[in-house]
Amino acid sequence: MALTNTKLRLKGAQTGHSLLAKKRDALTTRFRAILRRVDEAKRKMGRVMQLASFSLAEVTYATGDISYLVQEQAKSASFKVKARQENVSGVVLPAFEVDRVPGSDFNLTGLGRGGQQVLRAKEVYAKAVETLVDLASLQTAFMILDEVIRATNRRVNAIEHVVIPRLENTIKYITSELDEMDREEFFRLKKVQGKKKRDAEAAEALRKDQEIPDILEMPPDRAGGGGDLLGSKDEDVIF
Amino acid sequence: MEALLFNVDSGFLEGIVRGYKAGLLTQNQYNNLTQCETIEDFRTQLSATDYGNFLANEPLPISTSTISDKATQVLVDQFNYLRSNAVEPLSKFLEYMTYAYMIDNVILIITGTLHGRNTNELLQRCHPLGVFDTMPALCVATNVEELYHTVLVETPLATDARPHSSSPYPVPLSPPAPYFRDSVTAADLDDLNIEIIRNTLYKAYLEDFDAFCRTLGGPTAEIMHRILSFEADRRAINITINSFGTQLSKEQRAKLFPTIGRLFPEGNNALARADDIDQVRQACEPVAEYRAFFDGSASGAPRANGTGHGGGSESTANLLGDLGDDLGGGAADLEDRFFVHEVHLNKLAFLQQFQYAVFYSYIKLKEQEIRSLTWIAECIAQNARDRIHDYIPTF
Repeated sequence: MALTNTKLRLKGAQTGHSLLAKKRDALTTRFRAILRRVDEAKRKMGRVMQLASFSLAEVTYATGDISYLVQEQAKSASFKVKARQENVSGVVLPAFEVDRVPGSDFNLTGLGRGGQQVLRAKEVYAKAVETLVDLASLQTAFMILDEVIRATNRRVNAIEHVVIPRLENTIKYITSELDEMDREEFFRLKKVQGKKKRDAEAAEALRKDQEIPDILEMPPDRAGGGGDLLGSKDEDVIF
Repeated sequence: MEALLFNVDSGFLEGIVRGYKAGLLTQNQYNNLTQCETIEDFRTQLSATDYGNFLANEPLPISTSTISDKATQVLVDQFNYLRSNAVEPLSKFLEYMTYAYMIDNVILIITGTLHGRNTNELLQRCHPLGVFDTMPALCVATNVEELYHTVLVETPLATDARPHSSSPYPVPLSPPAPYFRDSVTAADLDDLNIEIIRNTLYKAYLEDFDAFCRTLGGPTAEIMHRILSFEADRRAINITINSFGTQLSKEQRAKLFPTIGRLFPEGNNALARADDIDQVRQACEPVAEYRAFFDGSASGAPRANGTGHGGGSESTANLLGDLGDDLGGGAADLEDRFFVHEVHLNKLAFLQQFQYAVFYSYIKLKEQEIRSLTWIAECIAQNARDRIHDYIPTF
């Protein structure tokens, strides 16, 4: 009974192991892909940010410092980030999405001069922020995947190196115990059989012993069994 | 006639300003600056010029904004020296020059005050040339109505002929422009875009400055009118181009055009009706110099973008189609051309003696020089060496 149970558990553990290993592989593939994209995104971010700060320099060149005006006139966010969820083999990854509201609050900044540069800087910075958002979702996915892969790895290893050997040991122990019990039983049976035999023999011997006195009680002539048929005379025999 | 008596009052200052002018960076010095590898080198190069060791006490990672601030400080010191030595009517003239900066400062403070910002922070951000005594008072106001009634009408930009009792500062000596009263009412402050206010004020300022220069007469009026009318046209063109695709209506736009430019009145009317950059170009067609800007900017756009358009003829049309990059490139180029032309006009001012325009021109050239310095420093700091030559040399 316990053996069947344990065997079932072992089987379960093995299935679980293979499933987890598969999951780990899938996650690792994903992880690698994300790693590559993170790399790309970071390089892109470097370029875009450089471009962006340069366009800001252009604005400063054309109009002077407008940062304060822009700060004051920005009333509502025109650049929003939305989060949604993505499922990769049971892992929930957040993915950020850019949501740009057209139109802007500081449309007229730099009306007198430098408006075009302001507009351009705005566009370039919007792109830069987009890149940042991309990078952020990749990076978050990267971290979460890393964590999950590690957990999965731990589980796989635990099953492989702890659970399965333990179950196998249990099974081995149970089997050996059963064998032992088998042998003991066999030995006992043998023993019993031997005893029975001995008893039987003893009984036989006893019986024989009892039989011997009967013989002994018989007349001496009869004693000795056959005796000499010729030595005694049969009464019935007349001649 | 003015040559006879000019030197009595202003000869000394004219000499000073011409000396300052000689200290402007030369093409050679610009070349040296563009060769710099780091901001450190840049500072060393600058210390050999008239700037001296203006950056000497700065902690080492020098930001470009520090350079710009310090250079502006140099300019402000020079200006204040001129101003404190000036007598009528030169002092008045110099005062007029500060109004442009005052407009910016007032706008800044209005914006900040309406949003409840810290006063000190606001005052720090003001342009030092546009600082006036009553400026901190602007921050007292808590709402628009109050701002208008108690404060704005008291500023140099708004005071009229009546003597100013509260301020010992020589700003309201004579009737400065009642810009605010003329152009903006309390109700406007509420719902008008702050940029529109700024441009309305600036228009009033330009017109008033021009009128003032005309009272001075002689070469001053002549030269200043040339510079100011160009400034007016530049603003008109810029406002037109920048208002494409915004909620600024054509009537509002027309109200912002200064009326002293060479484009006035037909050109201004055409600009007011313009819907795209082609119509702007047509509006500017009658003036030969302006026509050149647009011809150049059309063919210049591919250069600025670096992507290479097919040809100059189609790119103007493309400019509007692809507003994101192309218009930016083309108009940025146009802006550069405006700067170049402004520098050119200001340089011409130095060709005549016994007039006040040199003061204006010097300040403008110096400003341009600071812009160029900042640009070069920015290019060095950001390692964008291919654009480093886009500055505009003065002499």
